[in-house]
Amino acid sequence: MIEVNELDIFGGTISNLERGLNFSATKQKAIAQNIANIDTPNYKSKTVSFDTYLSDAKKSSISSYRTTEKHINFEMKNGNVGISSRNNLSYRNNGNGVDMDKEQADLATNQIYYNALVDRVSGKLNTLQTVIRGGS
Amino acid sequence: MSIFHGMNTTASALTAQRLRMDVISSNMANVDTTRAKMVDGEWQAYKRKTVTLQPQGANFSSFLNVALGTSSKDSVGNGVKVSSINEDTETPYKLVYDPTHIDANDEGYVEMPNVDPLREMVDLISATRSYEANVTVFNANKSMLSKALEIGK
Repeated sequence: MIEVNELDIFGGTISNLERGLNFSATKQKAIAQNIANIDTPNYKSKTVSFDTYLSDAKKSSISSYRTTEKHINFEMKNGNVGISSRNNLSYRNNGNGVDMDKEQADLATNQIYYNALVDRVSGKLNTLQTVIRGGS
Repeated sequence: MSIFHGMNTTASALTAQRLRMDVISSNMANVDTTRAKMVDGEWQAYKRKTVTLQPQGANFSSFLNVALGTSSKDSVGNGVKVSSINEDTETPYKLVYDPTHIDANDEGYVEMPNVDPLREMVDLISATRSYEANVTVFNANKSMLSKALEIGK
């Protein structure tokens, strides 16, 4: 008999893709914040890097306290992971550290990356659906 | 951090840049205003106004927490806000010789506003470009959100 929590049809792919999507969404927010503050004196640009994001995301989740195995585990993820500012960088006379060209390039890259991830999640789900339907 | 966090951030910047443009419009409109306000029974010329921006949520406690290491990670932030609209008291008034003017002083000079149209135009273009950049970000955000709705289709 197969227990429900051993039924591993997603095989980790979906959760990895989900982490990628979370990273991409956070990066999008950081870019939005940087471009919003393009004229703010002494504002320093914020960056989100993938490796720190991934390691932080693995560390900072809080699991529920379970007394029985039948309890459903829930996880709370810290929202502010992997974000850092470059405090010693200035591009303009007013101390602003936002490089507009870099931000725009990151914005375009991030969009394509996000779309690619969404495409892969959909592809994975379609594969599973094909398996469930028995190939018909 | 909700799903619309990025859009709210961009919206705050659009508001701020629009206000900047409004202030520039006010400066340009009042380029010849000699009677902006009455001070001790004397009319004073219009003073050029400038907008000061600051990141939203940049309060003392957030800086203290980062400095103490209580919250080691920076947060993304909540956009930008206009902290104040200041009058430019550094730039002197332009003195124009016009004895027939009603606000001319005893020597026949009129104090004209310290607005420099050239400077205002540069600021206006800067504000327009920042606004456009934020519109680009908003559209990118929107397309990402609608793409997320396609998961599983």
